[in-house]
Amino acid sequence: MFCEKAIELIRELHRMSDGQLPAFNEDVFRQVLQEMEALYEQNQTDVNEAKAGRAELIPSIKLRHCCLLRNQRCLTAYLYDRLLRIRALRWEYGSVLPANVRFHMCAEEVQWFSQYKKSLASFMRSLGGGEGLDITQDMKPPKSLYIEVRCLKDHGEFEIDDGTVILLKKNSQHFLPRWKCEQLIRQGVLEHVMS
Amino acid sequence: LFYMLYLTNVKHVLCFQRVALLVASDIDALCACKILQALFHCDQVQYTLVPVTGWQDLGTAFLEHKEQFRYFVLINCGANVDLLEMLQPDDDSVFFICDTHRPVDVVNVYNETQIKLLIKQDDDLGVPPYDDIFRDEDDEEGGDSGNESDEGSEPSGKRRRFDEGAVERRIERQRAKREWEARRREILFDYEQYEYHGTSASMMFFELAWVLTKDTKDMLWWAVIGLTDQWVHDKITHMKYVTDIATMQRHVSRHNHRNEDEENSLSIDCMRISFEYDLRLTLYQHWSLYESICNSCYTSCNFKLWTLNGQKKLQEFLADMGLPLKQVRQKFNSMDMSIKENLRDVIEESSNKYGLKDIRIQTFGVHFGFKNRFLASDMVHATAALLESTEKDESDSDNFIKALDSLSRSNLERLHSGIELAKRKLMAIQQTVASCICTNLILSQGPFLYCYLMEGTPDVKLFSKPIALTLLCKYLLKAFVHSTRNKRCKLLPLIMAAPKDVEKGTVIVVGIPPESETSDKKNFFGRAFEKAAESTSSRTLHDNFDTSIIELKTDDRSKFLDALITLLS
Repeated sequence: MFCEKAIELIRELHRMSDGQLPAFNEDVFRQVLQEMEALYEQNQTDVNEAKAGRAELIPSIKLRHCCLLRNQRCLTAYLYDRLLRIRALRWEYGSVLPANVRFHMCAEEVQWFSQYKKSLASFMRSLGGGEGLDITQDMKPPKSLYIEVRCLKDHGEFEIDDGTVILLKKNSQHFLPRWKCEQLIRQGVLEHVMS
Repeated sequence: LFYMLYLTNVKHVLCFQRVALLVASDIDALCACKILQALFHCDQVQYTLVPVTGWQDLGTAFLEHKEQFRYFVLINCGANVDLLEMLQPDDDSVFFICDTHRPVDVVNVYNETQIKLLIKQDDDLGVPPYDDIFRDEDDEEGGDSGNESDEGSEPSGKRRRFDEGAVERRIERQRAKREWEARRREILFDYEQYEYHGTSASMMFFELAWVLTKDTKDMLWWAVIGLTDQWVHDKITHMKYVTDIATMQRHVSRHNHRNEDEENSLSIDCMRISFEYDLRLTLYQHWSLYESICNSCYTSCNFKLWTLNGQKKLQEFLADMGLPLKQVRQKFNSMDMSIKENLRDVIEESSNKYGLKDIRIQTFGVHFGFKNRFLASDMVHATAALLESTEKDESDSDNFIKALDSLSRSNLERLHSGIELAKRKLMAIQQTVASCICTNLILSQGPFLYCYLMEGTPDVKLFSKPIALTLLCKYLLKAFVHSTRNKRCKLLPLIMAAPKDVEKGTVIVVGIPPESETSDKKNFFGRAFEKAAESTSSRTLHDNFDTSIIELKTDDRSKFLDALITLLS
């Protein structure tokens, strides 16, 4: 049945509805493109024949055309949804993506990502009267500038922007500016302590 | 030097710096830590909190953090030892020490730059004057050499006379120096002989908060818990406890003043602290009344509940008050309201008949929400049980964090689990006390009583921890004093030993002063243990901040004890 392969791609994305990026399914993508090519060629020959007089081929031409459109729609939806997810990754992980995520992107997506990064960076630089503002932090207005965090595992020394070094030992508690901790909280090394 | 109420200075110094907090493992320190953390949050002082269990831990923590921090705040550790000698810090490190351990080491007192002690002005320290202990060496030598260089230019005739004079002066100076040194040794010996405790660290920090007008009810409650910890674990005299309670009462009424209005009544979920003249029955509101009476030191010792006679007396006591056994054995919250209403007065009346004159004690209680009522002593027992929990796979710092969490109002589950652990601990203590007394495990060694818990004793693992063992020790001594007929033995101190680490073959040894009504709670075992260990070269570890608690190799036990006996006779 036509267009079944394309639906497979959509189903794959639908299964991972929490924003995770599955590996780029090169195989199925190529199969769909091949199917489209086959349909197109068949249509070409049939159109020539129909022009030559065989009008009964027209419904099958229409059918194949619909299938082509459907495949195209599925493929573009697949690509676009992936791009949206990759964009969200920039906001969640920062400009360096973890290796396993990068592995799931195809070469063009990687290129797109770096372009996106560049535009975002130049936009951020232009804010605040030329000084720049990092808008990817504090997605929700923070309640306090400093938070109390507890170290869940031995992480060794951790250096912060102004050069000070903190020793992260298991079960030590620290009171640090929020932005310095967010990265580590996401990684699971620190735990935010509410009192 | 002392820094009492130079607090705005302290605040300025710390405001833009990062501070390392090194906190000892006892409840008072935990409460003080919570108060200080809250203050730091207010002023956004960045800090790092590191729990320490003993001198070795303190040393390691200092080494790890000395590169990154200039300012260190030590809570309930560090005052009774020459800190600069021990830690060898850089010249720009500053230590703020708030420690209840006394006597404060004289070097710490007289250091002007690096050590700052936070101590209450009224606390009588009895520090010897500077000149009695320290002396500049240069003066003497300068005098001598000046004379000698003069002599060279004198004609030889007079030289012999001058020589004699110089020699005499030198002998005189040396004699004076020896006398001074002997007196110095004596003064220091007297000063450092007895170990005791000063005002609670959490009360100190609460005063700091009050002076900065940043005090809240939570901080007040923590200060109350810190003070109650000192009382529960017998670290301060009754007089001091009552005086400190009065101080706290002033703060409590100041905080409660706003609730007076009928119209503007606070929501039930708000925290209310109230002064209570409550029963000395441990955890009774979270247990059944019967269990609490059986497992509280005061009632158990006075009734002598380890004897059959004692049990009968207890039944009589309950009957006298008209409390049916069925009610009394139920969970306290499920008891009939009619019984609960006048319970305290009824119990007080009957106790007076049975000779329990002090069944009630001044303390504070808190309540927030419909279900949550706690007395300060409940919190102390729960947190202590969490701090020294002997579950497997839990390191000391895990326990520290759990105990610290249980002090916050948002962690009621933790607190309730602490209360359950505390109940088990109290029952274990009672059973151990009963068995020790009934099997005469307490032996008089002459100058002190001695009790050794064998390895197979039930719950002996609980007693490998210092706070639990000290509590057991105190209960045991009280029980012994009530049960023995020997008048002389009643005045003796008690030393107790329990297995600490079976693999390493060590025991933990605790010494407590004798039990008496007017005891000043001063403990001489710290120095005694040190001397005994030295003289027998026993392998000991004096790691605890309380010098009267040490770790000893099991094999060295007998020679160590013999040395102690000779030392203290």
